[in-house]
Amino acid sequence: MNAAAMSGPVIRLEKVTKIFDASGHPTTAVRNVSFEARRGEMVLLLGPSGSGKTTLLTIIAGLAKPTSGSMTLFGKGVEEYSPAELQSLRADKIGFIFQTFLLIDSLTAGENIEIVLRFCRKRRAERARKTRALLMELGIEHLAGRFPRVMSQGEKQRVAIARAVANDAELLIADEPTGSLETQQAVGIMGLLHTQAKRRDATVIVASHDLRLKEYADRTLHLQDGEIR
Amino acid sequence: MDMYAFRTLRSQPLRLILTIGGIALCIVLMFFLLAVYRGVADGSVEYIRQNHADLWVIQDNATNILRGSSLISMDQINAIARAPGVRTAAPVLFLLSTIRNGDRVGTIFLTGFEPDKGLGGPPQLAWGRGPRADDEIVLDRSFALKFGFKAGEEVDLQGRRLKIVGISRGTNAFVIQYAFVTLRFARKLIGVPGLATCVLVNAEPGAEIGPIREEICDVLAGLKAYDQETFLANNVREMRSGFLPLLYTVAVIGAIVLTAILSLLLSVNILERRKDFAILKTLGSPLAFLWGMVIKQAVLIASVSCAAALLLFFPLVQVVEKISPEVTTKSTVGQIGGVVAAVLVMSLASSLVAIRRLRRIYFLEAFS
Repeated sequence: MNAAAMSGPVIRLEKVTKIFDASGHPTTAVRNVSFEARRGEMVLLLGPSGSGKTTLLTIIAGLAKPTSGSMTLFGKGVEEYSPAELQSLRADKIGFIFQTFLLIDSLTAGENIEIVLRFCRKRRAERARKTRALLMELGIEHLAGRFPRVMSQGEKQRVAIARAVANDAELLIADEPTGSLETQQAVGIMGLLHTQAKRRDATVIVASHDLRLKEYADRTLHLQDGEIR
Repeated sequence: MDMYAFRTLRSQPLRLILTIGGIALCIVLMFFLLAVYRGVADGSVEYIRQNHADLWVIQDNATNILRGSSLISMDQINAIARAPGVRTAAPVLFLLSTIRNGDRVGTIFLTGFEPDKGLGGPPQLAWGRGPRADDEIVLDRSFALKFGFKAGEEVDLQGRRLKIVGISRGTNAFVIQYAFVTLRFARKLIGVPGLATCVLVNAEPGAEIGPIREEICDVLAGLKAYDQETFLANNVREMRSGFLPLLYTVAVIGAIVLTAILSLLLSVNILERRKDFAILKTLGSPLAFLWGMVIKQAVLIASVSCAAALLLFFPLVQVVEKISPEVTTKSTVGQIGGVVAAVLVMSLASSLVAIRRLRRIYFLEAFS
């Protein structure tokens, strides 16, 4: 990546539209969305259910292709990446926090974190060291060998954040991270996410309908019916 | 993450046990068929293998003793014995006959031979000795066990009383078993003196076999002489042509069932865990990693099933041989290794079928 790209926006969308065409009934999920996010910036996509937030997140992560418009990811047009390059990009540079955290039930907390490091080709010793360090950093070292089914919501939140930042992600994507949480837990997770992102100078894109998150965002984009208003 | 492959299987223990049980039974079936085949193969041709004749002379319309009809006259037998270089010419007469003792009745492949010639008799004796007199008989061990004939007791053979003086091994051809009597007695049974089915020839020390064979074939029209190796191969081929198609058919059915069971388990496992797979894909998992996980599951199940099959197989063989003594089995490390290797290949095939499901798991499922 050249210096210009390094200093430019991490993501840039220009007039991005996404139309789903299921059974001959086209539905526009995202319409003419343009915005960019720079390194270290936290952008909140705020909107009600069905406003196109999640679709927009998947486009930003390179998981779905826009029907029209253009998008650059780390300085390069997303259409220029091969599927294998996009997979490597997700493994090496992007972290995800899903609604209800979606930890893998069959893996312990430590293994849930370690697996991401495996995808970015870290050696076994390095994976173990980094997993331990993250667990300690987030104050959950006691959860290393525990399975998600025996963890509290708060514990799951922390493991999910540790997993998201394990690969030293430059771009963190969070889909409704506080969706089903009470205020105290929501504040907790956003505070933690904010701290972790700032520490790593990572760009964070959060999709949510939760107005409480505005105070953490550097910028809030209101999404309605697939459009930024 | 290797633990993921194991733990997801373990999360449904009953399903896992049933699957391993089903696959293990398929493997036992394959072990058993091969063991029966090996037992039959040995039992069918051990008689030929152990008799060490330099030449087997038989009518030229027959190539083997298992499924061929051959009659050689006294004149021909004498001519063979007089051929240059022949040390021993031992005529043998094969007949199908029935042995009874009370209500116990069994059909045997009666083999009449001349004990003093040292050729044509039972290949191995489990007990006793070979027949010396016309009122003595040697029975195959499996036959004796099946019909309850005991060593030392008398049996009835076409109205004649014979004493069981020996029990032989390696004489069970599965569908029929050998019994041994003197040639004179066998000839009395058919009422035609001097007749034989084949003649076993041993050459003088240092004499070449080729010229003897040419002499017999040139001088005695209608007869053919095979060396030991060729005659053995003829009989093995004959045995295989009758038995192998059935074996292959059942083994292939077993392999298909095994592959289907394993594919089904792996596919169901993928479908039930599709959200996990969608998450892993989204987090940047290479496809090879996901494929590897399914393959590891397949190999793990196949390995455990093989171990279970091995534990089941040997006791099962003992039970079957006790219930049906005519079923003689023989297992070798090679054939067990071959089945295990085949099962591992089938497990890979099963995983490839299941892996196709991975393609239909989409990133967006992690966000729904």
